[in-house]
Amino acid sequence: MNLRHIRALALKESREILRDRIYLALAFLVPVLMMVVLGHGLVLEVRHVPMAVWNQDKGPLSRDFVDRFRLSEYFDYRGELTGDQAVEQALKRGDVRFVLIVPPHFSERLSRGLTAPVQTLIDGQFTYHARVASGYVQAITARFNQDRIQDWLVRREGLPPQRVQQQLSPVKLEVRYLYNQALKSEWSIAPGLIMLIMLMAPALLTALGVVREKESGSIFNFYASNVRRVDFLIGKLLPYVAISAINLLVLTAMALWVYGAPFKGSASVYAVASLLYIFAAGGIGLLVSVLVRSQAAAALITMLGTMIPGFMFSGLMMPISAMSPEAQREAHLFPAMHDLEVVWGVFLKGQGWDFLWPQVALIGLYAVVVLTLAWVLFHKRVKR
Amino acid sequence: MQRCHLLAGMSDVAAPSAKMASGQTGAMDSQQSAAMIRLQGVVKRYRKTTALRGVDLTVARGQLFGLIGPDGAGKSSLMHIVAGVLAQDAGEVVVNGVAIRDERSAEAVKAQLGLMPQGLGLNLYPTLSVEENLRFFADLHAIPPEVVSQRIEQLLAMTQMSRFRDRRMQHLSGGMKQKLGLMCTLIHEPQLIILDEPTTGVDPISRQAFWELLNQLVRERALTALVSTAYMDEAARFDTLALMHDGLILEQGPPDSLAAGQAATVLWFSAAARDTLRPCLQDFSAMRLRMEAGQLRAWLPQTQREALVQKLDSPPVRETPPTLEDLFMAAVGAPHDLTFDWAPPPPASAPVEIRADGLVRRFGDFTAVDHVSLQVRAGEIFGLLGANGAGKSTLIRMLTGILLPTAGSGEVAGQPLGKAARQVRQRIGYMSQQFSLYPQLSVLENLRLFGRIYGLRRRQLQQRIEWGLDWTGLVTDKNEAAGRLPLGKRQRLALLAAILHEPEVLFLDEPTSGVDPLGRQQFWGLLHTLVRKEGVALLVTTHAMNEAENCHNLALMRQGRVVASGSPRQLRSTVRSRFGEVYALRVDDTARALATLRQRGWLAFAQGREVHVFVAGDDASLGRLKAQLDEAGCVISAIERVEPTMEEVFVSMIEGTA
Repeated sequence: MNLRHIRALALKESREILRDRIYLALAFLVPVLMMVVLGHGLVLEVRHVPMAVWNQDKGPLSRDFVDRFRLSEYFDYRGELTGDQAVEQALKRGDVRFVLIVPPHFSERLSRGLTAPVQTLIDGQFTYHARVASGYVQAITARFNQDRIQDWLVRREGLPPQRVQQQLSPVKLEVRYLYNQALKSEWSIAPGLIMLIMLMAPALLTALGVVREKESGSIFNFYASNVRRVDFLIGKLLPYVAISAINLLVLTAMALWVYGAPFKGSASVYAVASLLYIFAAGGIGLLVSVLVRSQAAAALITMLGTMIPGFMFSGLMMPISAMSPEAQREAHLFPAMHDLEVVWGVFLKGQGWDFLWPQVALIGLYAVVVLTLAWVLFHKRVKR
Repeated sequence: MQRCHLLAGMSDVAAPSAKMASGQTGAMDSQQSAAMIRLQGVVKRYRKTTALRGVDLTVARGQLFGLIGPDGAGKSSLMHIVAGVLAQDAGEVVVNGVAIRDERSAEAVKAQLGLMPQGLGLNLYPTLSVEENLRFFADLHAIPPEVVSQRIEQLLAMTQMSRFRDRRMQHLSGGMKQKLGLMCTLIHEPQLIILDEPTTGVDPISRQAFWELLNQLVRERALTALVSTAYMDEAARFDTLALMHDGLILEQGPPDSLAAGQAATVLWFSAAARDTLRPCLQDFSAMRLRMEAGQLRAWLPQTQREALVQKLDSPPVRETPPTLEDLFMAAVGAPHDLTFDWAPPPPASAPVEIRADGLVRRFGDFTAVDHVSLQVRAGEIFGLLGANGAGKSTLIRMLTGILLPTAGSGEVAGQPLGKAARQVRQRIGYMSQQFSLYPQLSVLENLRLFGRIYGLRRRQLQQRIEWGLDWTGLVTDKNEAAGRLPLGKRQRLALLAAILHEPEVLFLDEPTSGVDPLGRQQFWGLLHTLVRKEGVALLVTTHAMNEAENCHNLALMRQGRVVASGSPRQLRSTVRSRFGEVYALRVDDTARALATLRQRGWLAFAQGREVHVFVAGDDASLGRLKAQLDEAGCVISAIERVEPTMEEVFVSMIEGTA
């Protein structure tokens, strides 16, 4: 290793980045933007589903029934509709995704002890949201029915309401969620996004940094000099690692203070693992840049090569254990899975070195392998 | 004191590496070590094409060696192989005594080698300043820190760039970028520098300065330079040159002996003599005819000269020695009759089709076009000359209505600029600098597409295409994918696509850039017939000065302004009356002669080993010149009056008036 070469390369690279406003923006704004956009877009909870009601009854019971939906945080009451056409239009336009239709004589039938049909129209385009919304509807309706029975029993048997309740639901379910007690999806998503972005951004920046020189022809300056390949790669990589380290701090701060995620584990594990992970990501970028010649190809391949493992094979969207055996094997080939374990481990589970050292070691190993591969494939005397 | 120390230090740095290089191949004989580069049977194949088909080449030490050839001849591949940055598929490559066989052996030559790849300033870092660029290259080559600053000072002083040391490379002019590129190549004081098309896209003045600088370096520092160029007219600048075409070296040797080796002469006739000379090809089958500067130019072996002159009624207008371009034509087996119907300049009564009146275009605080006025009549070929970034393309884009002028006015095909753009567009044709056809579509498909874009009816289009394929000689290629045609044919196709709708005004932006001499000749033939037969007004841009002769009128642009204009003949006579005749001097020490002459106020340029100097007045001033050189200790071996080249015309107009 020749420190002068590395220093000269890193200095030149940093100057170029700092003086090129577009590149500078790309380097520092894109990760933050991704965190904001994906952070809000990836939230998996279904809340505030826009809804409307066509209440043809107007009796006291129907108003009670409707109010249970209106007051629920899962639904966003947008108003009263009248007529089939109005309902259809509201759904078609997408103003509401759920309409509750209460038929005439609802209250009257219930008071007489008869059953009363209620229609719910749910926009089925977002299957997941539709399914969850229908679950809410069923839960609210079940609760309404239970209250009706309770009322009836209280009145008929003269028992205290508490007693009736005990009799009606003898099994009490006690659920405690671990690590993310409130099941706030932001808590899981925000650190998960750090894993994703810190894979994509360093890889993309590094790949573009090298291929840019290939496109312009300035790469010949190294080819035609005695600068060693390893020095070139390190000198090229270091500025992007530095940028990514700054981005890591920014994203971590965002996870903690914008998304309110807790940080319960070891900061040193997080720091070491993240840094190694950045090297690994940069290594992926270098590897891509060695293989392609145009910036467009480099950007496309790097995006695909980091987004797919980052999203699909990391455990962010689906637990690894729930994947098919082949997918599980593939997941182990990428550092994303291990980094997600580290990130969630330190943010949510409060883990430290004792538990996470194998993951950190694997990320480190991955970085070494990718960088070595890039070094082996990089030539100063090219074939074409 | 310090300076002496520095110089001593520098030679110390160079010496051990030279020893090392020769030590590595101990078994070399003395003849081999004399050569800086020796190639034998070098072959380079790419996926679809073969760039080099067995090249043999020897470059002696201390030479300014030229590789001349059109785009795609294999120049870059060859230079990259010599620089050890590209692997050859077969053949022996020995550079500075080291046989380059693999990546490891390539490393051994790199300390003594500087490579400046193709593309003006493209290997430099735009956001870094001049000095930062230089320091970066110094670091790359691990130059001892104590000498870096002094070496940078030296280079800056030599190139007269000291004032610009803090300017960012992206804000330099083309000529300055080229100088900086050269400095970065020289910073580690290599023994061999490899410059790939360093003069492409540089204005004539910077070009002149560049060649002088290079000459000086080669002489003073015993440097070997391998330099490529696409311009045949730069041949005279080299000590030795190799003429490349299609992956082979066709000819190789000193420019003089190559030209003389043809044992031929060139006779010039008026364009009207075409009808009498063409039948002569039957008897004089070795003769080659083509058009240049409005005259018919007949190349023929010296032995047949007398016979031809006797056979003709009228004697030739003048006689010149054959050029390298003649050699090229013969070597590639070009058709012997390349004449065409030369379009005479339009009469003064011809309507003005293009008029620019003080056109200005600014981008931010940068003025790309600065008060340009010109006019082009129907039936006129107007040449716009200048370097990359001189403002030619911006001017054309304003005239075609693509870009709005910041100030000034103009008129194209009778319509004022910026108004009725649609009507105007139907009456103008535009062939842009980039190849704007679809490479995957066939010739025919491209033409049909363009015809329909211009709204031609089916039958009319069919007729136009049939006529056009025949006219451009592309009939046999009509089903070939446009992208697979050779460059010369591709440009003819692009021209055809631009004139399918029979425009009255035609704009051509760098149509012959990179095309070989044969392709150029054919292309200009098409332009002349077009102008003559259809009375088209034609505005063409180029940065090849020798093409200027094919135009009726010229304007030279530099940094957004027109610095000289007129017909080639007018420009020549202006230069003559202002600065005198051009004399070519052969002297023992070109650099000293040049310095002496300039000091005494002569307008002089280096042309390879010759010095060209403008001498005004009578023989007395020539005598004075000789005496002054004598006094300075320069030995003149030959002196001869020559025609000024277009490049000299422009350089003298600008430098002489500045």
